[in-house]
Amino acid sequence: MGRGYIVDDAVERYLSALCGQPTVPVTGLLIGQSTTQRDFVVMATRTPQREESTTATGNSVDKDWVTEHARQVSRMLPGGLSVLGVFIITENDGKETQATLRQLVFAVDNLISSEHLWKPADDDVTECVTLHVNPKTRKTTCRTFEVKDPKSTAKPADWKYQCGVCSSWVMVSCWLNVDMLVPLPNNRTSAEYMATCVKEGLKAWAHQIDNSVCLIDGKKLPEDTELTAGQKRNVKQTYTTQLLIMPEELRSADVIQSCGGSMSVRGTIHSRVYLHSNKPKSKLAEKLLKRDVVSTVATRVQMLMEELQASEEESKSRETQLTEQLPRRVFCPVKATGPLCVCDYQFSDEDLCEVTDRLKEMLDIDAAEEDLDTRQEMTADIAESRVKEEATVETVNALEPKRKGFTGKYLMFCCGIDISTHHSPHITMTATKM
Amino acid sequence: MVVVHSHPTVTGTILRVRGPLELKCQLGSTDVFQIQKVISGTFEALRSQVKSEACVLSVCDSPVIIWPNKGVRATPEEITPVNLCEDLNQWIQTDEQESFGKKSGKKKSKKSSAVSVINLHLMMEVTNSGSLPAPILSRTVQKSHFLATTLPIDCVVCTSSDSTIKDACEHLMEALTHQLCEMEKVTLQHMNGTTLLVPEAFHFLLPEPKGLMTVVYPAGVPDSQLVTQRKELHQQYELPVDKSYFRRANAYHFPGEPYRDGYLRNPHLALTHPILDDGKVYLVQGIYSYHHYMQDRMDDNGWGCAYRSLQTICSWFQQQGYVEHPVPTHKEIQQALVDVGDKQSSFVGSRQWIGSIEVQAVLNQLLSVTSKIMFVKYVAKQHLVSIHVYVDNLDSL
Repeated sequence: MGRGYIVDDAVERYLSALCGQPTVPVTGLLIGQSTTQRDFVVMATRTPQREESTTATGNSVDKDWVTEHARQVSRMLPGGLSVLGVFIITENDGKETQATLRQLVFAVDNLISSEHLWKPADDDVTECVTLHVNPKTRKTTCRTFEVKDPKSTAKPADWKYQCGVCSSWVMVSCWLNVDMLVPLPNNRTSAEYMATCVKEGLKAWAHQIDNSVCLIDGKKLPEDTELTAGQKRNVKQTYTTQLLIMPEELRSADVIQSCGGSMSVRGTIHSRVYLHSNKPKSKLAEKLLKRDVVSTVATRVQMLMEELQASEEESKSRETQLTEQLPRRVFCPVKATGPLCVCDYQFSDEDLCEVTDRLKEMLDIDAAEEDLDTRQEMTADIAESRVKEEATVETVNALEPKRKGFTGKYLMFCCGIDISTHHSPHITMTATKM
Repeated sequence: MVVVHSHPTVTGTILRVRGPLELKCQLGSTDVFQIQKVISGTFEALRSQVKSEACVLSVCDSPVIIWPNKGVRATPEEITPVNLCEDLNQWIQTDEQESFGKKSGKKKSKKSSAVSVINLHLMMEVTNSGSLPAPILSRTVQKSHFLATTLPIDCVVCTSSDSTIKDACEHLMEALTHQLCEMEKVTLQHMNGTTLLVPEAFHFLLPEPKGLMTVVYPAGVPDSQLVTQRKELHQQYELPVDKSYFRRANAYHFPGEPYRDGYLRNPHLALTHPILDDGKVYLVQGIYSYHHYMQDRMDDNGWGCAYRSLQTICSWFQQQGYVEHPVPTHKEIQQALVDVGDKQSSFVGSRQWIGSIEVQAVLNQLLSVTSKIMFVKYVAKQHLVSIHVYVDNLDSL
C-alpha cells in the first residue's frame, strides 16, 4: 500500500496556472509535512529562472539548479515544513520524465540531508514524492521513492486535493538563548577554516539541544500525549515551549590547550514549528522544535560564513577582532488566511524589499513589506532602545555598523552587548578602520 | 572481631544536586595575574548563572522541575513552595511504579528511620521571553590558550521533617554559590602554568552534631599531598587526629548509590544474624568490600579462599582511610611473599594455598599493618583481640 498525500487545493490552482505557461518543462518543489501518521502538501514553488540561461534549453532540466533551489528553499521553511519532493510539468509521458524525476528527488534529498546537524530518528519518513503533470491531458502521476536506498524503485502513491488543509494547524514556538564559545586552531585563520571550527561547535551545541528536556506549556509531557487532546476544533492553536539543558561532562586530560583565538555566538533566536492538526503527538513537536532550533542557528552562521568567504580578498576577514551580526529571522504568511508562515533571514544592512524579492524568487510568494512579521527577533539597536526603558544595568550605545556590503571605507565601531540574565553584562568592542 | 567507633547515621531527607557546569574561556595572556582574572571572571559568570532565573532543578526520576530563583515555581502545578520537602518523594518513580505521576495514596512508602535522598539535576533553561537581541558572532585571532572543562557540581543540603521546598531551595542556592567559590579557590591555588586541575567535591559525614559537610579537592592530587588541608579541617571541626575523616576514601556513601568498582559492601548486614544461647554476636564496624572466588576473571575456585579473605581485610583498611594502597591482586599478594623471603620466586603465578601466617606477612609488607595470631580451641571473652593500627609515616588523618 502506497503513501497518501493530502494536498491543499491552493497547490492545485498553482500547478494549473503553471500548465498554461509557455515554458516547458517546468520543474519545482513540493513543500509540506510527512509523518508516520499522514502526508500533507501545503505549497508548491517552481524552479526560478536561471539568469544565465536565456535560451530555452528544450526538454533538459538543470539538475544542479533544481537542487540548489531546494537547498535555499529548505532554509526558508520553519520547523515542520520541508521539501517533500519535486514536480515536473511536461507533455513528455515517456520514461525520461520518470528518470528525471527520480534523479532530481534523490539529488535534492542528498543535498538537504547533508546540511543537517542532527541524527536521523527512527520515526523519520524517508520517502520523497515525485509528481508528473501533463499540461495537455492534465493527467497527474504521483510516485514515491525510498531516498535512503539508492536502488529503490518507484511506488505508486495517492494524490488527493482538499481545501483548507492547514487552516487549523498548530504552532509550537520559543525564543532561545544561544551561547557558544569555540577555540580556533593555531595558524589557520582563513574564513573557510573558521567555518569548519564553527561547525564543530555547532555540532556539540546541537547535541546539547537534542538531549535537552522539553516542556510544552510548562509541563513535561509523556511522549505519546496528543497535544490537542480533549479540545474541540480550533480552540488552541499555539503552544509555548521551554528547553532545559545539562552540559555533558567534559573530562579530558588537557583542560588547557593552546589555540589561535576563539569565536563566540551569543544572542536570542526565535524558533517555530507547525504541526498538522490530526492528533499531533508531543514527541513529534519536541523533535521538530529541536531540529528547527539547531537549523536556524546553523543556517545563519553558514550564511555569514559564506558572506565572509566571499569577501576574503578584503582585509576584513583577517582582522584580529571581528564582530558581526547574524541575520535575523523574519516571517511571512503563506496565505492571507491560515496560520502557516515561511521565513527568511535579513542581514543588518539589507532592506525589507530584499526579503520580499527573495520570497518571490524562491517561493513564488507575492508579499508586501507590511505583510512581513519582523517582531520575533530584534537587531541589537532595537533591543538596546527597549532595554533603555527597562534595564537597571548600564548600557553602551550600539551604533549600527556603517558599511556598504563588506567594502566600506568607514570607521566601523561595533558594539555587542550581552545583557541576558545568563551572564553578567558582557561587552565586545572593536574599532577598526576599513 | 573489630571494634571501631560506630558509624554515624543521617536521618531526615538529604537533597543532593549534581550537574556539570561548563567552564570555558580564552586565556589571552600568559601573565599569571591576567589569567587568574579571566578565570575568576568566568567563575563569577557561573555564579550569576546559578543565581539567575534560568537556573533549574529537576528532581531525578520524576516529572518535578523547580525554578528556585523564580519564586520557587514548579511543575507539576500541585507543587508549591510551602510544600514539605519530603512530599517530593511521592512524585519519584521507583521500579515498582509504571506510570509517571504521583503515587497513589494506598501505596504508602515504607517509613524508615533511615535517611532518604532526593537527587536533583542542575540544569539551565535556554529559552526566554524573547526580548533580547539576535545573535552576534565574535571572533578574536590571537595566539593564546583555551580553557574548556566542566565542573562536577555536587551539593548536599540536609533538611528536617518540617522543611519546605522554599527553605530547601534557599539553602541549595547558598550551597551552590559557596561551592563555586570553593572551586574557584582550589582551581587558582593549584594552577601551574598551563595545567589546571579540575576541582571535585566530596561529602564527609562527621560525628553529631556536625553532620554532613562538603570539601573540594583538586583532581589528581593524591591524599598524601593534601595533609595540610586535612589538618586545618581537623582543627576547624575539632576532630581527633588519630582517625581519618577527610581522605577521599572516607567520602560518605549515599544510600542507593552504586559503588563505582562494582563490589558489594558489607553483605553481612543483609543476612539474618545467628541467635546464640550462650554467646554474643559482634559485628565488624565500618565498610569493607566483599571479595570471593572467581571475581576479577581470576579462577581461584577451591584454592583462593585465604587470598580473598585477605583482599576483604585490605579493603577495610583502605575504605576507612588508613591506607591508600588499593586491594592487592593474587599476583601482588604472591609477590609480596616472595619479597619478604617467605616464598620462592616460582610462587608467583602458581595456584598454591596460603594460610594465616602468609596473610599476616602480606598485611605487614603491603599495608604496614601488624597483627597477632592466637591459637585457641574456642573463643572466650579474654581472647577478643582489639587491633591496634599503626600507620607508618603519616598521621591517621
